[in-house]
Amino acid sequence: MFMKTFKTFEEKWTAWLDDQLTGKELEDFEASLPDKEAAEAEKRDATKLGALLKQELGAQPFSNEEFFNHQLRERIAREDAQDRPRRAGARSTWWTVPRLVWTGAVSLALFMICAVVVMREKTPSERSEYLTQILNMRVDPVVSPNATVSVFETQGDRVTVIWTEGLQTLPSDYAAK
Amino acid sequence: MQTETTLAQADVSELDLVKRCQAGETEAFDELVTRYRTRIFAMIYNMVHNEQDAWDLAQDSFVKAWKSIKRFRGRSSFYTWIYRIVMNVTIDWLRKKQVKGAGVEFDDAIQLREVNPASKTLPKAEPLPYERMERTEVRARIDNAITQLSPEHRAVILMKETEGMQYHEIAEALGCSIGTVMSRLFYARKKLQNLLKDVYENI
Repeated sequence: MFMKTFKTFEEKWTAWLDDQLTGKELEDFEASLPDKEAAEAEKRDATKLGALLKQELGAQPFSNEEFFNHQLRERIAREDAQDRPRRAGARSTWWTVPRLVWTGAVSLALFMICAVVVMREKTPSERSEYLTQILNMRVDPVVSPNATVSVFETQGDRVTVIWTEGLQTLPSDYAAK
Repeated sequence: MQTETTLAQADVSELDLVKRCQAGETEAFDELVTRYRTRIFAMIYNMVHNEQDAWDLAQDSFVKAWKSIKRFRGRSSFYTWIYRIVMNVTIDWLRKKQVKGAGVEFDDAIQLREVNPASKTLPKAEPLPYERMERTEVRARIDNAITQLSPEHRAVILMKETEGMQYHEIAEALGCSIGTVMSRLFYARKKLQNLLKDVYENI
């Protein structure tokens, strides 16, 4: 059973012509028609048009039916024969689809591994000199026994925040830097 | 009940034929061609109005069907599936012909502008008594009227009125929504009612 909610006027009109509107949808649509009689006349016209098309176009004579099949059989055989070596050739080549997929996956994995290695490699030249100096101070337990140094970095924004606690002294050349 | 059983048997044997085709049996495909060739030829002929072109397009459609029958999964009926191939081949051919041709045979935009959805259909030509018309003349009038529709509108009206297909079957065959089918049917009917009123009024 055909069930659909009709949205546009065109859909409702077509459904109405084909007697597909029922219940409240039918009532609402018929109530919305400005001229019910004209609409009914249109519906009769559509029915007559449908009958005319069916009568005139429905039965199209088709001569030489058997020749049609014969010609089709020959064409299919010919095209199959042409396709067969092409398919066989495609199978014999080294670059079959599974191999291509496998090679692609391996290449991608290798690329990812290289990319990760390169990205994790540290570049000391980009490190702040202050950080090195303060860390040096941190490892001297005599000068600053309770010092802690925390470093926060945002590489994208090129910002480094050094948070120090318990430092007794700073390097002598710190202010000059 | 007996009819339902007969239909069910017909469906089963059709499915069986399709399975045999999928296994590469050309005899089974020959049987399917025999079942559908007349309807498909008529459908194409009504769209292109030339016997030789209709013959060639029907052949092209069946060859395509044979080549892709392994992909048929049976989600729709075989005839809806093959109609989809037929429609693709025919509409594509008509579109190419339109591009190659000197004049514009049909134009959706013009057609939609010409038709007022709320208008009453009035004959454009003087009414002619049907009795005086030769059958060929009627056919020529119908063919001429259909030629003024776009390929998609032709497909929809022919599948609905001559094949008696349901909206959802037409939608499946054309690869569009049911709403689009109904909208195209609306405009196609309006246009043909305008062009053929004097013909069907006198039947």
